[in-house]
Amino acid sequence: MNLHMIGCTHRAAGVEIRERLAFSGAQVGDALDRWQQSLPDTELVLVSTCNRVELYAATPHESTEAGPQELANALLSYHGVSPASVNGQLIQLENREVIAHLFRVAASLDSMVVGEPQILAQVKEAYQAAHDLGTAGPVLHDLFQASLHAARRVHNETGLHRHRVSIPSVAIADFATRVFEDFDDKRVLVLGAGEMAEETLRYLHDAGARRIHVVNRNEERGRQLAEAWSGDYHPWDDLWEQLVAADMAIGATAANEPVVTAATFAQHVAPRRHQRPLFMLDLAVPRDFDPAVGDALGVYLYSLDDLESACRLNRRARAKELPAAERILDDEVARYLAAAHHRVAAPVITGLRRGMEGPKQAELARLFNKLPQLDDAARGEIEQFADRLVNKLLHPPLESLRDAAREGPPHGLLDALRRLFRLED
Amino acid sequence: MESGVNIICFAASYAVALAIEVVGGWRQIAWRRWGLLLATTAGLVAHTWYLGRRVAATPAAPLASPHDWFLVAAWLLAVIALAAMIHYPGRSLGLFLLPATLALIGGSLAADDEPLATFAATRFWGILHSYCLLLGFLAVLLGFLAGMMYLLQSRRLKSKTLPATDGFRLPSLEWLERANSRALGAAAALVGLGFVTGVVLRWSRTDAVRGIPWTDPVALSLAAMLLWLLVAEGFRLLYPAARGRKVAYLTTTAFAFLLLTLALFTLYGERLHGVAAPSQPPSADGGQA
Repeated sequence: MNLHMIGCTHRAAGVEIRERLAFSGAQVGDALDRWQQSLPDTELVLVSTCNRVELYAATPHESTEAGPQELANALLSYHGVSPASVNGQLIQLENREVIAHLFRVAASLDSMVVGEPQILAQVKEAYQAAHDLGTAGPVLHDLFQASLHAARRVHNETGLHRHRVSIPSVAIADFATRVFEDFDDKRVLVLGAGEMAEETLRYLHDAGARRIHVVNRNEERGRQLAEAWSGDYHPWDDLWEQLVAADMAIGATAANEPVVTAATFAQHVAPRRHQRPLFMLDLAVPRDFDPAVGDALGVYLYSLDDLESACRLNRRARAKELPAAERILDDEVARYLAAAHHRVAAPVITGLRRGMEGPKQAELARLFNKLPQLDDAARGEIEQFADRLVNKLLHPPLESLRDAAREGPPHGLLDALRRLFRLED
Repeated sequence: MESGVNIICFAASYAVALAIEVVGGWRQIAWRRWGLLLATTAGLVAHTWYLGRRVAATPAAPLASPHDWFLVAAWLLAVIALAAMIHYPGRSLGLFLLPATLALIGGSLAADDEPLATFAATRFWGILHSYCLLLGFLAVLLGFLAGMMYLLQSRRLKSKTLPATDGFRLPSLEWLERANSRALGAAAALVGLGFVTGVVLRWSRTDAVRGIPWTDPVALSLAAMLLWLLVAEGFRLLYPAARGRKVAYLTTTAFAFLLLTLALFTLYGERLHGVAAPSQPPSADGGQA
């Protein structure tokens, strides 16, 4: 097993380098296709996200044509980036380091926001793309499947993914879901068209929200945001009407003072809502909604400060889960390595069994010729005896092989077995 | 009972399930869900066994006496609790349903276990009357629990209790409001039907107690509860915008009537129904209020 990984991540490389080395979906296919022609014996998978660009390679033996330098050149030359410009920002890993790194990436322990769920799907997609193009072979198949298994274990056996840490994700997943059971029939009103509102809409859309309404002073920008989410734009004058009809309201304007005060809410909105629940998210600085609006019956108002406190607590809760996640990954890496080492020994084991099978069959045939009076039951017994004898003779060397495989590739033992049993012949 | 399964067995199982639910709210327990399911299922098995033995001993059971009535109500609530644990594993519904189950079991200890007198009415009306009231009372109880959860969840959301410090996960306000409204509607219909069938039962009697016992405290409290349920349901239907908190308060008040009715039923039930003579075989229509 010869594994390599060349690439850059948010830990070692700045965003300008990551941007220069990033691959779009179409570029991934093109690059893998091109590299496959120049490195025909090498399995390749390319993982490219906004936080990392990583090229995983596996060769059947120590390859001079697909060493770290050659892989780095392939990666950089695709974008015409000179090695000098990324000096010190590319990471190069081999064998065990590659396995441990990929497991951490898939389990989201290497992510900028530890525990974020998107990375698992991205790793899966990267492998699938390579598989479809035929650049991922059996070694990378095993490696990526094992990484997905390890990530699922971390997800299922720790609370790492339960605690969200970004403001919009906390707002939707931890607070809005405690008010609403589902979002597909909920009317979402966005005041303003800030970036935070757009990010929150993304989470809401993923959660099923489809009835998006935007109220904005700038009609062009408001319409733009509404169209991006298949919603409706309303002029600013409709604000009170829209607040009466809304189930959720997201404040994201650039106003210098609250656009909804307790008095205006009590005058224009509250009497017509009859205490119907209204989930309000104030993502603006300074605030769009007067905090006193939250005192109205049926109104659940959260500001950036409230959400940031939740994020901070979630980060602490996640940190507590990290040791358990690390233990799972260590366990999975050890298991993967043992299985990989055992696979190295597989041809020798097969050769040993085959080497015994021939003489066994020959001896049985000779014995049955000498004793033609044997009935089927007696023949069956003798065949079983021969099988048991072969298995018992093979048991000690195979056990020794398995034990040695736990420590590393048992090359010495394999050589000895090949020579002792003339397996090369 | 002779089988060795008694009320303590299943009450203890439900209590263990409740303890797991409570502790699970404070600290993460890996086996919490399985422990909850195991303890509740064990309780239900023992509970079913106990009720089965009661039915074998008194063929008119399970609603022949106030004691059985409470136990059947507790059994139904435990079934609902188990279903909620399976269907909504992340929510602390057991925290509300299990104490109510235990309270009903506690009520059965105070209630008379003598079969109530048989009536000169058809068995059909007796069974219908008993089951309608049982299910109606259960609907009021569930509506009350959903209302309590609604008010608690609303309060936690208002006070911005942070999810990371929030071990007890309740259903969403929307879910609780829906459950509360449905329970109120079901309670009004079932208690109403139970009351009407009770009137039919009394009118069908040919003896001296024929007619509606308007001076009976159980009948009076039941009539008051029914009136309140009808008013509450009418209010909910006429003002659909007035939901959530208001419906929660309405069901909470209905629960107060329920408590009063149950207390009177436990204390004075035999005055209305009379106790069956020991020689008479008990019948299923004994649960009339």
